[in-house]
Amino acid sequence: MIEVNNLSKRYGTHLAVERISFKAKPGEIVGLLGPNGAGKTTTMRMLTGFMPPSEGKASIAGHDVVDDSMEARRSVGYLPERVPVYPDMTVRAYVTFWAKLRGMRNARASVDGVLERVQLTDRQHTLIRHLSKGMRQRLGLAQALVHNPPVIILDEPTIGIDPQQVIEVRESVRALGADHTVLFSTHILSEAEQVCDRVLIMDKGKIVAQGKPAELRRKLQPGATIYVEIQTSATKARELLKAIPGVEAVEAEGNGFVVRASKETDIRSEVSSRILKAGYTLLEMRAVTSSLEAIFLDIISKEN
Amino acid sequence: MPTLIVFRREVGQYLTSPFAYLIAAAVLVLTGVLFNRDLVVSMTVKPADPALVPSVLSFTMIFFAPLLTMRLFAEERREGTLELLLTAPVSDSSIVIGKFLGAWFYYSLLLALTLLYQLVLISITQTDLGHTMSAYIGIWLYGGATLAVGMLFSSLTENQIIAAFLSMVALMLLWLGDQAGDLTSNIDVARLVRGISLQGHYSTSFAAGLLRAEDVAFFGSVIVVALFVTIRIVESNRWR
Repeated sequence: MIEVNNLSKRYGTHLAVERISFKAKPGEIVGLLGPNGAGKTTTMRMLTGFMPPSEGKASIAGHDVVDDSMEARRSVGYLPERVPVYPDMTVRAYVTFWAKLRGMRNARASVDGVLERVQLTDRQHTLIRHLSKGMRQRLGLAQALVHNPPVIILDEPTIGIDPQQVIEVRESVRALGADHTVLFSTHILSEAEQVCDRVLIMDKGKIVAQGKPAELRRKLQPGATIYVEIQTSATKARELLKAIPGVEAVEAEGNGFVVRASKETDIRSEVSSRILKAGYTLLEMRAVTSSLEAIFLDIISKEN
Repeated sequence: MPTLIVFRREVGQYLTSPFAYLIAAAVLVLTGVLFNRDLVVSMTVKPADPALVPSVLSFTMIFFAPLLTMRLFAEERREGTLELLLTAPVSDSSIVIGKFLGAWFYYSLLLALTLLYQLVLISITQTDLGHTMSAYIGIWLYGGATLAVGMLFSSLTENQIIAAFLSMVALMLLWLGDQAGDLTSNIDVARLVRGISLQGHYSTSFAAGLLRAEDVAFFGSVIVVALFVTIRIVESNRWR
């Protein structure tokens, strides 16, 4: 659905996006993850036909974004970071305008459908200037969906709205995956983890890692880490934990310890049996999974 | 037909915008007052001027055209809708032309309203309808040219005030070209300066009941050039 091949974008001498390549299959939700200024928006703008790439090729639903720009643009629904609205138009007129501009002849039914989908049917005759921020966000989504494009590109759709609405937007993005290919950018890692089938981590214009969220975590996590809390003195507990084969580091945290073992060793049974043998009580033991956040920061700091 | 869709939206915006109605009211009050004065004068001093309303507009459009067009692109830029327009499957020129035609259409409606004055005039005096018609055709084209210039400046900035100010200055210069011609004793230079001024193609031809191809061509080319430059400016948004 989306094919990107060695795509670059140069602003003067500054290389905003550097030779990135990726593919997205139909029905896949791909997350573009990275700090501000990583080149996410530039990448999206090249895919939507807003700006031509400096080098490389990209195609949307088989249409090259440069050579077959009109068809490619027709195949994309785009929601830029700042929701673009005409404040003096009504909700319905706005959605209808975009539907028609993207070549729909009879827009009425799809406008009805999409307003229903983003729950703005009862607001369809309201002027956009009177809508709340969350409603505007949904309206922006409606605009991107109304012509039923195979590919939907959303630039940071959860920025600046309240937590309840963030959850709603995430749910609608997940739901979109059923019959659209979605490219979705965010700098919030847990969001990418929840919503995306696959994550591309971008930094300084390059893709520094990609894969399924779980895969990425497994691949990049330094080793198994557990949190243990034992009812005994801190020094005794530390000694006991350090003595376990495979343990690389023991750090105090709260009332217990974070124990890091080398890769591919499961130390949990060993930990519990040794504690029991020593006559202590095990209060708590749980796996500490490092979030994508940590992995992400790790990758980026290694890059620098 | 993307041009038509953009055109319809623009006309809709004008017809629902309080500001556009304010401008319409200002135009009608101003022309109405001056028309009334001309009628009073025509009872004793001189016959009523058949080109009065268009001639008033030939000066006031320097202010009204920028106010009518400052929104066209500056607002799209500020609201970010320009990015969506440029990713819609339509050419840049159809966006620019659609917007221009929308503004020109609204102006034409305004102009049509002032025909009421002509009805009044016809009912009380013998007027030269040919003369009136020539003046109206002239001011219609003249207005189109000033609107095209106004839209050009609107495409340069996201600040409507700056857009309006810059196009007022530009139109003022184009208008004053008529006077600037007087500054030189060289008749050829004077003629050249006059040849590129708005007034030079209106006050002595259309306003005097004269329909000349060169004047139609002049306003036509101002429109075409301004549209062309606007299309390029809009396109340049893609390159930065």
